[in-house]
Amino acid sequence: MIEARADIVGNIWKITARVGDQVARGDTVAVLESMKMEIPVVAPAGGHVSRILVDVNQIVQEGDPVVEIDQTASA
Amino acid sequence: MFGSDAVSQLDAARQVAETDSAVVGVASVDVPSGPRQVLADRRAARFAYVEPKGKRVYTARERAELLLDDGSFVEMAPLRTAGTRPDGTASGSGVVAGWGLVGGRPVVAICHDAAVASGAIGAVMAESIQAAQRFAIDRGYPIVYVNDSGGARVPDGIFALHGCGGIFALNVQAQQRVPQISLILGPCAGAAAYSPALTDWTIMVKGQSQMFLTGPDIVKAATGEDATAEEIGGSHTHTVTSGVAHLEVDSEEEAFEATRQLLSFLPSRKGGRQAVLGAVPANPGAVARLPEVVPEKSSVIFDVNAVIDGVLDNGPRLELMPEHAPSVVTLFGRLDGRPVGVVANQPAARGGILDSKASVKLARFVEFCGRFDLPVITFVDVPGFLPGTVEEGRGVITHGAKVLKAYVETTSPKLTVILRKAFGGAYIAMGSASLGAHVTWAWANSEIAVMGPGGAVALLNRRELAAADDPDALRTELAAKYREDVARPYLAAEAGIVDDVIHAEETRDRMVAALRMLTAGESA
Repeated sequence: MIEARADIVGNIWKITARVGDQVARGDTVAVLESMKMEIPVVAPAGGHVSRILVDVNQIVQEGDPVVEIDQTASA
Repeated sequence: MFGSDAVSQLDAARQVAETDSAVVGVASVDVPSGPRQVLADRRAARFAYVEPKGKRVYTARERAELLLDDGSFVEMAPLRTAGTRPDGTASGSGVVAGWGLVGGRPVVAICHDAAVASGAIGAVMAESIQAAQRFAIDRGYPIVYVNDSGGARVPDGIFALHGCGGIFALNVQAQQRVPQISLILGPCAGAAAYSPALTDWTIMVKGQSQMFLTGPDIVKAATGEDATAEEIGGSHTHTVTSGVAHLEVDSEEEAFEATRQLLSFLPSRKGGRQAVLGAVPANPGAVARLPEVVPEKSSVIFDVNAVIDGVLDNGPRLELMPEHAPSVVTLFGRLDGRPVGVVANQPAARGGILDSKASVKLARFVEFCGRFDLPVITFVDVPGFLPGTVEEGRGVITHGAKVLKAYVETTSPKLTVILRKAFGGAYIAMGSASLGAHVTWAWANSEIAVMGPGGAVALLNRRELAAADDPDALRTELAAKYREDVARPYLAAEAGIVDDVIHAEETRDRMVAALRMLTAGESA
């Protein structure tokens, strides 16, 4: 398991990934609104999305996990 | 393996010895170990190849030779020694120091010799290093330190500490004279980690280099923390998290190549001639895309490298600290053939904000450019300084102020272009006219204001908004009006706060013209 984390404090604007989605490294899984910018939260590795850890409009801190990715199924 | 220089010296010595025997005849047979032979033997012992240990690939002497142009390395005081081996031969000073050429220009190389007491810095080694430093400072040649040392040599006691302190003092003195680059090619602790921090740029090899105050054993004893050498001071720690090192490469060879490339952008000394080459046009594809690179909507991210590509010469670039504080980009490249330092907000990383780490990175880069007369080209698209408890706790005010100070103190040509948005304190910090930028431009779609339209309207029109039947609609309408009437760059241009409003595709020509104007005095 690996987590896509917020790299800046902000508000979860939208969650673009759904549980079960296949994602590749660098894919956007959610978008933060911070400093009036749309800042993507990206998958640090490929796999399938196993859990969504936040809600829309939730405030996250830098480093907070946003989406959990199961790497074992990525192959 | 011998240095080519050492080999030629040895061969010459042996030849002369043989010739002497032939000429002088029988008498010389009685003194087979005459002075010439003694010298040859001593050189052979001193230059004997010692297999590098651990992940090291090359000996200290080989490192000097690989760093420098072929056959150019000349070792200083090669016979100097800190002690003798059990067989009575000299162990060496623990450092291979000398001078040679990089791209045809003189450079001093100081390579710790891990084969002698693990490169530990004793009194004699420190004296050798200091002698090379003084030579470089005196002549005005860049210094490359190849660090591979466990730190101060304990048996030398306070004499080792005093020697290390002397190296640091000369590191600092050299800052105002010549560029200094540190390579970390092994585990470097204590003094061997501090000296690089007093130099300009530090390069580490993935999996091979570590820098730390102390390694895992002493960390464990001191605080109980259980961590590997790689976790405490590996290249990932220092090029991503701490910012102590500025470039991570995959091999010793790449470290030498990166050093040579870095030096290719720099003058040999403060006030020295800039490394100007023939001008190369920008990448034509990037130039063609330039008007479309920046999304009109100010909240949408983009990769600022596409702008840099459309402006700079289409040639080598060297980005420093690419993984650390990536919301600002710092790189060396060329414009009109002239080396320049580029500073840019990177909207693709954390929105291009300024925070504590980005400020330190940016300030350090600008300060370096100023010290060595490199023009600073600043590309601005900044939403602001990141506010909040975390950043205030990190001292963002102090660190942000370093950016202001660096720009103000830099007297080299400073050219700034606002690509999209420049708000508040971050507008000032990013190489604004008020901080002494020589020429500033704003792209036609940009916004310059004390704050973004949304925030400004909420503050300025608070009462109207509170009384409105449909506050959201009124807010949108007022924000649009503010954007056009106040934030658009024409107000700044009419006030002389930016020099001109330009189209994206005009940027390179404007910058080249300005750079020629600002550097014309050099040859006059």
